[in-house]
Amino acid sequence: MKFDPALPADGVNVTPTHPLSELGLLLGGLVALVVLLVAGLSLAIDQLVPRIDPALEARLFGSEAEEVEARAAPAQALVERLAVHWPENPYAFHVEVLDAATPNALAFPGGRILVTSGLLEQTKSENELALVLGHEIGHYAHRDHLRGLGRGVALALVLGGLGLADEGGAAGVAALAADLTQRGFSREQERDADRFGLALVQAEYGHLAGAFDFFEKIAHEGEGRFGHGLAPYLSTHPLSTDRIAALRALARARGWPLVGPLSPLAHPAKGGSDG
Amino acid sequence: MDPAAFEAAIQLGGPLLLLTVAYITGRFIEKRHYRDIRRREVRWSRLPAVTFRQVPKAWEVEECGLVTGSVVISIDHFKRFVASLRMIVGGRVKSYESLLDRARREALLRMKKDAIDAGYGAVVNVRLETSRLASARRKGQSTAGVEVMAFGTGLKLRRSSV
Repeated sequence: MKFDPALPADGVNVTPTHPLSELGLLLGGLVALVVLLVAGLSLAIDQLVPRIDPALEARLFGSEAEEVEARAAPAQALVERLAVHWPENPYAFHVEVLDAATPNALAFPGGRILVTSGLLEQTKSENELALVLGHEIGHYAHRDHLRGLGRGVALALVLGGLGLADEGGAAGVAALAADLTQRGFSREQERDADRFGLALVQAEYGHLAGAFDFFEKIAHEGEGRFGHGLAPYLSTHPLSTDRIAALRALARARGWPLVGPLSPLAHPAKGGSDG
Repeated sequence: MDPAAFEAAIQLGGPLLLLTVAYITGRFIEKRHYRDIRRREVRWSRLPAVTFRQVPKAWEVEECGLVTGSVVISIDHFKRFVASLRMIVGGRVKSYESLLDRARREALLRMKKDAIDAGYGAVVNVRLETSRLASARRKGQSTAGVEVMAFGTGLKLRRSSV
């Protein structure tokens, strides 16, 4: 018998696909799938949320009528005064103070508004706080807190449903794509809430003086140093400079005055905690 | 840059850099390995390594013994990443194919080298075995690497019998 010293053929066992084209195809497919799923579910949630009765929401999430903390009292009073200008308001708002240096306010289901102690300490006038709180009331008017909750569930469902828990790299990509998609929805909500809040401030004071101070502060501190870049597409909120510009344009269009007397803000928190 | 953009840059930038580095080094090492494999395959092509279970009647065997060649391979980060994407939809895991191809050919070459060093002129009953090396991570569920082993019976043949 004769031995034929043939060399192993190259490529029989290896598919001649370039690794980068394989990567591009799979990655593009995954990202497209996740974006479509998250966007689809978010749109479905947007349809569903307005049908949820606020009374049901209050039963599910509402806190029992708790006492309002002394340091939350001025914010609580302000919220109640602003809410008067929203006649259809089905919520009984309850303001609580969260100890955190970062100035921020959050809307929770059932009418619980959380403001950080940093926000209360840094606001100079009632008008400044009013736009922040009006913005949060705007979230309730648009039921954004429920949308946010629903999108969180949708996100978990999509990522869990793809069964990526064990696949390190793919899971990260999917999570990022899903998160960025839902942030797009989030930014749109913030703009709507801004407009609603501004209308409340105008209705309460008859002018918008001081209302933009908070946004100007965060714009001055956090942004602008590195330019806009990708930030507008990545954040949960629109850029503060863009928000101010949009709100000023709205005020101009409606003929709302930007100057007027500022109302001082009571600071019982300072007397209580420092003294 | 606002915190969200910064966070996204960190989230995306680190893994992206790692992938790029893994891709470049992986490609470089693979190309170099294939060049080396082809060179040795040509050099040792005269040594028959066949899967016969019986020694051909014409061969007069003077001596025989076990010859083995084994190689342990692991995947680079890039191949693992592409494979993890592939596992969602199924299909040929192309990124692993070249890796296992290299491992099988390398194992055979090492077996041939073992045979040559021992003075054998042919190897019969060649077999390939693959086993998974469990990683200590995730209670041994994940894979640290794969061993491909080639083994056979080396034969010392009387001259002119092949």
